[in-house]
Amino acid sequence: MNGSLRGPRFLVVTGKGGVGRTTLTAALGMAAAAAGLRTCVVELHGQEALARRLGIPPGYGPVAVGPRLSYRGLTPVQSVGDFGRRKLHLPRVATWFVESRVTRGFLDAVPGLADIVQLGKIENMIREPAAGDPIHDVILLDAPATGHGLSLLAGARAMREMTRVGPFAELASRIEDFLADHDETAFLLATLPSALPVQEARQLADRLAREQAPPRLAVLNQCPPPAPASADTLRAALGALPHPAGPALAAIGVDALDEAARTEQLAAELAHGLAVHAPTPVLRVPRLRNPDDLAPLVAALAPAWKAP
Amino acid sequence: MSPLAIHMCCGVGGAGKTTTAAAVGVAAAMAGHRAVVLTIDPARRLADALGIETLGNEPTAVPLPGASGSLDALMLDGKATWDALVRDHAPSTAIADTLFANPYYQALSTRLTGGHEWMAVEKLHRLVDADRWEVLVVDTPPAQHALDFLQAPERIHRILDGQLVHAILQPRGGLLGAAARGVVDLVRRLAGERVIGDLQEFFELVAGLSEGFRNRGAAVRALLHSPACHYWLIAPADGPRAAELAAFHDALRADGLSLAGVLLNRVVPALDVDPDARDAALAALPPEHAQWLRARLADHDARASRHAQMADAVARAVGIAPWPLPEVAGGIDDVAGLAALGAALPDDARGVSPRTSPERSRTPR
Repeated sequence: MNGSLRGPRFLVVTGKGGVGRTTLTAALGMAAAAAGLRTCVVELHGQEALARRLGIPPGYGPVAVGPRLSYRGLTPVQSVGDFGRRKLHLPRVATWFVESRVTRGFLDAVPGLADIVQLGKIENMIREPAAGDPIHDVILLDAPATGHGLSLLAGARAMREMTRVGPFAELASRIEDFLADHDETAFLLATLPSALPVQEARQLADRLAREQAPPRLAVLNQCPPPAPASADTLRAALGALPHPAGPALAAIGVDALDEAARTEQLAAELAHGLAVHAPTPVLRVPRLRNPDDLAPLVAALAPAWKAP
Repeated sequence: MSPLAIHMCCGVGGAGKTTTAAAVGVAAAMAGHRAVVLTIDPARRLADALGIETLGNEPTAVPLPGASGSLDALMLDGKATWDALVRDHAPSTAIADTLFANPYYQALSTRLTGGHEWMAVEKLHRLVDADRWEVLVVDTPPAQHALDFLQAPERIHRILDGQLVHAILQPRGGLLGAAARGVVDLVRRLAGERVIGDLQEFFELVAGLSEGFRNRGAAVRALLHSPACHYWLIAPADGPRAAELAAFHDALRADGLSLAGVLLNRVVPALDVDPDARDAALAALPPEHAQWLRARLADHDARASRHAQMADAVARAVGIAPWPLPEVAGGIDDVAGLAALGAALPDDARGVSPRTSPERSRTPR
């Protein structure tokens, strides 16, 4: 595998809370659209973090973000409404069905149902777009933080086991097949260049490999700038910087050198850990100097969408 | 004995809740208290940081050299906690076993949204009842919104109380109006009769459990409102907008609770060096190294200034000046690091609170 994300039409961005999944999803979507792919970025459960990151109003959408790039903020009730509409061919029923407290109560009470109806919506957008619906080359999902995104994916199996028969059971089976189809679905693993996040990313990769598929690409987010040439000479010189400013400046310099060295080591550790399942490229992307300007991140992610 | 303090570490995922909760526990133990930390995160980060191989659903002693108090730690097992709750309240083992075998119960006890949150408070209740600890620290489950934790018991209570579900279970929609009956009919058709049957069995069994099971929700909510409970909002200095923190504060207040404080995590302090002195020091380096270090100093200045702005924004939005916690290079992954972070916590978070614990002066330190 060359690290290209091209191919699968559903890309799930996984990783623990705080690794920058939402920012990466936004930037990856921008990079994909810039590479010529018709792209949609999606978040679930009425979250609005991705919409905020993109600077657009949230909504069930689709909301146009830029050329070839759109956004959808899915919600369980609207997704189940769409499902009912498709499944039972009752277009007029949908509105009051969606607005009913009973529907909401049921979605709340049946574990995993909210997850699979939203995944079902995505699967439908990809596999069976209705006439007039937009066609997407790729849909990127900012997976929820809960259970590192894995519980969302495991939901389909749990749902099928629980329901066994009926429309929801059929939907759950479809989702399971869709997620298990490596030509359709791929996983991206996001983490940070610190010891615990890398350790957790390795554990998450192990679980992904066991329960779904090994990640297609790992992204080491917020990497510090690399050390300069002859870093050891610099390190020695830092210790001798003249007073009064010397010691304070040296402390920052030493921290930055340490951080750069640690990042090298952790990137290698991560690649080594992932290789147990499949050779997985680790893409390093820079820490943003200005958090509101995603351009450097989009540029750093561009190689992921190169045509093979 | 009621505990001196219960510290709830709330915040969005990645804010540093787990590490902070561990640091609060370590600080309390260092201050001479018997402390326990309940962690939730499935990644077992706390176990790593505390140097324990694996944490279980029952408290395990954490070796803390030099502490005059003690620290126990455990990791929530939501399913085991549900099962314990059922066993405690089921009128017979047979009924408990029927419930354990019910597919809906199995799904509910492992993956109900909010279930983990509810079980965290349920487990906390059990720890308080065990009466072994003076200070209890709770690391709340990873969530997109800090609020999820507070709202979960209410949510689960609504489900178990089940007006809406009962409506679905009654063949003709019970006492609902015609429109709602239509929805019920549609839900039944979508779900399939098997699911409805499992749900029916589940709710019949739950109704058959002693009052205790269903009343437990109320007890758990009461615990969240106990004056010993301190809510700490942990926010990453690089992190979300101050408005989100304000929303948490507002929700707490709307619930009659108050925020003990905002801990602004991983704050980079401003570098207080006069520009001329800076230039003089940099002049001692060869140009390419001076240029590299100058760029790192600019990065540092930019971050420090963003963090200072964040602190101001939080103070304005929440009305409480946040307490800064320092960034630790490389992250915290051992007890020494936790102890250092613990020492940087505000006094109120270091085990006891002078405001709500009049017994404090009698506590051996």
